[in-house]
Amino acid sequence: MSRISTSLTGTWQHMKRDRQLLVLFLPCLIFYIIFRYGPLFGLTIAFKDYNVFEGIFGSKWVGLKHFVKFFSGNDFLMLFKNTLTLGFFTLIFGFPIPILLAISLNELRVKWLKKSIQTLTYLPAFLSIVIICSMVIDFLSPNTGLINKLMAAVGLEKIYFMIIPEWFRTIYVASDIWANAGYDAIIYLAAVAGISPTLYEAAKVDGCSRWKSLWNITLPGLMPTILIMFILRTGKMLQIGYEKVLLLYNPTTYEVADVFSTYVYRKGLIESNYSYAAAVGMFEAFIAMIMLLSANFISKKAGGKGLW
Amino acid sequence: MVGESKLNLFGVINALLLICVGIVTVYPILYIFSISISDTASVVQGKITLFPKGINFDAYLEVLKDKRIPRAYLNTIFYTGLGTFINLLLTAIAAYPLSRPDFIWRKYWMFGIVLTMFLNPGIIPNYLIVSGLGLTDSVWALVIPNAIWTMELIILKSFYEGMSEQVREAALIDGASEFRILFNIVIPLSKPALASIALFYFMGHWNSYFLPMIYLNDSTLYPLQVVLRDMLIFSEGNRASLVDAAALAPQAKKNATIILSMIPVLMIYPFAQKYFASGVMIGAEKG
Repeated sequence: MSRISTSLTGTWQHMKRDRQLLVLFLPCLIFYIIFRYGPLFGLTIAFKDYNVFEGIFGSKWVGLKHFVKFFSGNDFLMLFKNTLTLGFFTLIFGFPIPILLAISLNELRVKWLKKSIQTLTYLPAFLSIVIICSMVIDFLSPNTGLINKLMAAVGLEKIYFMIIPEWFRTIYVASDIWANAGYDAIIYLAAVAGISPTLYEAAKVDGCSRWKSLWNITLPGLMPTILIMFILRTGKMLQIGYEKVLLLYNPTTYEVADVFSTYVYRKGLIESNYSYAAAVGMFEAFIAMIMLLSANFISKKAGGKGLW
Repeated sequence: MVGESKLNLFGVINALLLICVGIVTVYPILYIFSISISDTASVVQGKITLFPKGINFDAYLEVLKDKRIPRAYLNTIFYTGLGTFINLLLTAIAAYPLSRPDFIWRKYWMFGIVLTMFLNPGIIPNYLIVSGLGLTDSVWALVIPNAIWTMELIILKSFYEGMSEQVREAALIDGASEFRILFNIVIPLSKPALASIALFYFMGHWNSYFLPMIYLNDSTLYPLQVVLRDMLIFSEGNRASLVDAAALAPQAKKNATIILSMIPVLMIYPFAQKYFASGVMIGAEKG
């Protein structure tokens, strides 16, 4: 009894001492409770038939109805395949390019050129996704687009890029690389800068060519960063840029472009099937969490250093 | 140093490749700009490949005459300004208690905050909370539900933690309140970190289209990105526009709009490198 009461007074004393800090922290606490934990409780509507008039708490429980409907329908397989394929292609093409870019930039000994190219390549990272997508659509437009004009100039047939499903992934991945490679390279450039210059000097004394020291010093030096980034990217593979898909896709390309989040948006916010969409979103969040946790587990096993 | 200046094949090929990469990256933007200041005839005949022909600024005047765009521009400036201010204020005051090693229940607060990075309920529950609170169709829907970004909170907290203890203790002995210490000492000393997260917040607000799109129904409230989306991507809203969206709206005017929307971002971008780099680095370390 007395121990509990001392610890309670202790806590009370501590709270009193920290009261100013608690006041400063209060807005943050309220924010996280309402806008970060609130939606988690809102997820219960995935197990209800959400009705606007009865609200989140008043709506009737329906168990796993929405999940069953989702898994037994045809959309599930399509979405799963699309989300994984888009994520996978973005990863295997988008991941190595910033590394190559950083290494080549590092090998460039002309300072001003290095700096200007780096500055140019990360420019697109500052452009909004709307601008990037409108540029993509513009350049690929069948009649006025530059790509089709160039193709016409060398006698090739016009291609309606935006409405042919086969082209969607290429367009998505290529524009992603264009927009993000320079920005993603920053982190590798910083890692290269952290490699001790004495290693390079020693290699030069030993008669190593630039190519050899790249292979034997720069690359191994970058390895830990590459591994961490790779695991991180794999863990986040499902979180592909749905805002971009929303802007680039259209009903003719749904079959390859529709991913979990765009489907949730359409079913939920456009067609007002809140409960069904919440169930789909919950499934996606669950898979994403599992992937992130396993990525961290693997990284801890492999390098001894987890992401957290 | 002799070896440094020696030209070799590897170096030359590398430099040439990088120059190509640089050109490929900026070319689309220059092309958009050239079209925006060329005369209509040259654009329609497809004469523009890089340099503008028949330079004029009619397209820009036309854009400014279109009521929607100046209004959307002002909306975006307002949302971005207010949003970034609230983000910075809340992040700055929340990071301070969390950076105090003996702050009560600090471990639990941090756990609760970091946990939210892995639990993402998706857009539907978020939408229901925001609309349930009656925030839709107001600037608050864009500002309040994302008032603190967990990553930026952690970045700032780490920065505060790296600051010297002695100044704070001296101030405490002199009888300064925690508020005074935060606003008169800690915040002025964390300008580099605040600038770095301010850039992220600024970019987030300036470029955001999804949240305004779902939370704003009144078109007079639309920020620039939503108007751009309607104008450039879903312009005529019919199937033909998907086949050839570019052909329907006057090219020069569209491109002038794009360039106008880029200006503020392009203005801060040359200064952004060091702040972004440090932000990205801390972000990567913390995972």
